[in-house]
Amino acid sequence: MAIVKRVQTKTVDSDERSRPRDLAGLVVNLEAPNATARRWAVRDLAQFSEAVPALVERLEIETDATVREAIFMTLTEIGDATAVQGLVKCLRSEEAALRNEAIEAMKHLPDAVAPIMAGLLADPVPDVRIFAVNILESLRHPDVEKWLIEVISEDSQVNVCATAVDLLGEVGTEAAIGQLEALKRRFADEPYILFAADLALRRIGEA
Amino acid sequence: MSLTLKRILVVDDAATVRMYHRSILEGAGYAVEEAINGIEALEKALTLPFDLYLVDVNMPKQDGYGFLRELRRQDIPQAPAVMISTEAEGRDRARAYESGANFYLVKPIKPEELLAHCRLLLNAPGGTL
Repeated sequence: MAIVKRVQTKTVDSDERSRPRDLAGLVVNLEAPNATARRWAVRDLAQFSEAVPALVERLEIETDATVREAIFMTLTEIGDATAVQGLVKCLRSEEAALRNEAIEAMKHLPDAVAPIMAGLLADPVPDVRIFAVNILESLRHPDVEKWLIEVISEDSQVNVCATAVDLLGEVGTEAAIGQLEALKRRFADEPYILFAADLALRRIGEA
Repeated sequence: MSLTLKRILVVDDAATVRMYHRSILEGAGYAVEEAINGIEALEKALTLPFDLYLVDVNMPKQDGYGFLRELRRQDIPQAPAVMISTEAEGRDRARAYESGANFYLVKPIKPEELLAHCRLLLNAPGGTL
């Protein structure tokens, strides 16, 4: 029984290897029954930015963790505006793991993410705004503090502000002090905001 | 003189949230441990006995749903869990309960709300309602 299985696996692999390694052939291989073949296809698709829609579509149904990881790596490697739009689509997924993986991938794309950050921070869905702040956590970009200050100044949703104030506690400077004080007045009945803003103010004062 | 403290594991990737929960829970006399994601939480759950878990939904590496599903599969004494999220919609609550949560709280959480739920679960017979 085990021998039969091995022979079948080898045949499938060999068929899939013989398919053309061009865009169309690789996209077909995203549907391969064998996870290894799908992973190869994903990695080879890194040279085709046109593959982003197919990769994002695959993410929504892919169950193999290594293939999913490869898809996020490939999207990060492509790293252009199309890839970022694909990752933004993942932020709206109902699957928490998919959202979190997209957030982690976007943290590595500061140049591609920066032009759309203002839009993400103004998204009508509060959770998308929270995820945008999560992306800022490790986004090496000079505007991170400015974006965070805008969030705590303007966003009406307490959890979005709470996420931003957490991060200001780590990256904030004296430039944030006035808006942190204003945030405390705006959400004076929210103990968490008061706690986090005081902590941020203390850290800024100690820096 | 003192009884053994009830031990609570706070699972959240945000350090400020963990500090906030710790300050509330320790102020009420509970012992608190922390984990920054589901993977670290499971490691701690397998090595230390906990009376209650406070679990955030959105965390990198392994989210709260994944952690609770894994936890409930383990052959260890099970403790109740409170899932914490910014998402107030019904489908998220349903997913939390399906994953093994006993309660679902929406952020921001006020101290009295957190303590009331902890007391309720910790005092329930067998740790469940």
